[in-house]
Amino acid sequence: MNVQIILNILVIVESLLLLVISITLFRKTSDFKKLKKYEEALIMFQANQNDVIPMLVHELRAPLSVVKGASDLLLKSTDEMNADQVRDLLAQIKSSSEGLLKMVGDILDVSKMEGGKFQISKVFGSLGGLLKEECAYFESLARVKEVSLSCATGENIPEFSFDPERVKQVMSNLLSNAIKFTPKGGSVEVIARHVDRIVEVVVEDTGIGVPEKDQPKLFHKFFQAGNQGGVTQKGTGLGLVITKGIVEAHGGKIWYEDNKPKGAKFIFALPLK
Amino acid sequence: MPKKILFIEDDEGFFNIFSVPLKMKGYDVVHVSDGALGVEKAISEKPDLILLDIVLPGTSGLDILKELRERPESKDAKIVMLTNFGSDENINKAMEYGANDYLMKYNIVPSELPDKIAILMGEASGAGIKVTQ
Repeated sequence: MNVQIILNILVIVESLLLLVISITLFRKTSDFKKLKKYEEALIMFQANQNDVIPMLVHELRAPLSVVKGASDLLLKSTDEMNADQVRDLLAQIKSSSEGLLKMVGDILDVSKMEGGKFQISKVFGSLGGLLKEECAYFESLARVKEVSLSCATGENIPEFSFDPERVKQVMSNLLSNAIKFTPKGGSVEVIARHVDRIVEVVVEDTGIGVPEKDQPKLFHKFFQAGNQGGVTQKGTGLGLVITKGIVEAHGGKIWYEDNKPKGAKFIFALPLK
Repeated sequence: MPKKILFIEDDEGFFNIFSVPLKMKGYDVVHVSDGALGVEKAISEKPDLILLDIVLPGTSGLDILKELRERPESKDAKIVMLTNFGSDENINKAMEYGANDYLMKYNIVPSELPDKIAILMGEASGAGIKVTQ
């Protein structure tokens, strides 16, 4: 398959993504209309839209700009590039498209959670094994950031029923946040323990932590600690909302504690049933 | 000797699409993804031009710009903000702190970036410095 064909496919993929995003945002608006407290939702939406819409636009625009820019380069300059440069740009288009798909998936998940339509698929399995796999997956990112990552995944945790893909998503959100907000030389630790009929998983770090005033808003949609002065953190601010939704769909709970003397600690508890 | 560009950008995607055409035009591109390291590199590498993102881990590109302008080693460096945040507040701050240009990533065709850079470095003639939104 030559580069021109690949590019044509990518242009179609980009257009489809834009369509999916538009439909998703439209569905979200429709869900709002279904709320009994429509007026309240509208007031909240209007109060937040000045912040939320530019943030969402930015988050969608960044990967789309990369796809567009890389496609443009490949169309105009393929003959002047070496094979590695062509491959790197194609890989970049792929990873930016995957990032966009994840973002659309996140928006859709939140929409389902708000509409009471979010579902999980439980299977009987080992949470300890899953936690080990997730820690191994994040080891390279931690190494790059020069952050130590350790996992005490609780060998004595009995097998039970949970949705492995969704719990992976919980761990992925918590671990990526912990590594992102922990400076070089710091540490991130995952601890799993089994108490009565509950499994508790703790993800703690020695990073910047969450200011007390921001803690009550941590699991609110679109909220990101540290946004100030017209400059925002990257991300949609949906990760922790989805994390909470997944834990609650298992009948569990998630909460935040300061990691004394410094850092953040997220704890989620899942029932053994 | 090729002209050196320091690119302070934490998004690998943007770094890739903008650095490829610059390298193809013969520029030596030094990459830093961390704001604090960016200031260090700006001093040690003595680049001919700095491309500076605004949202960076741990610090803001605007704060880096301010610091670079305050330090004698980098006060005269050519600095171009390359960002997707085009609020009036950010543009005004960048101009106040002494940015030489303010480019929006989604509006710049990567293959055209080297021409803009050449104008800023006095290697080609152009219409002068402006905010490109």
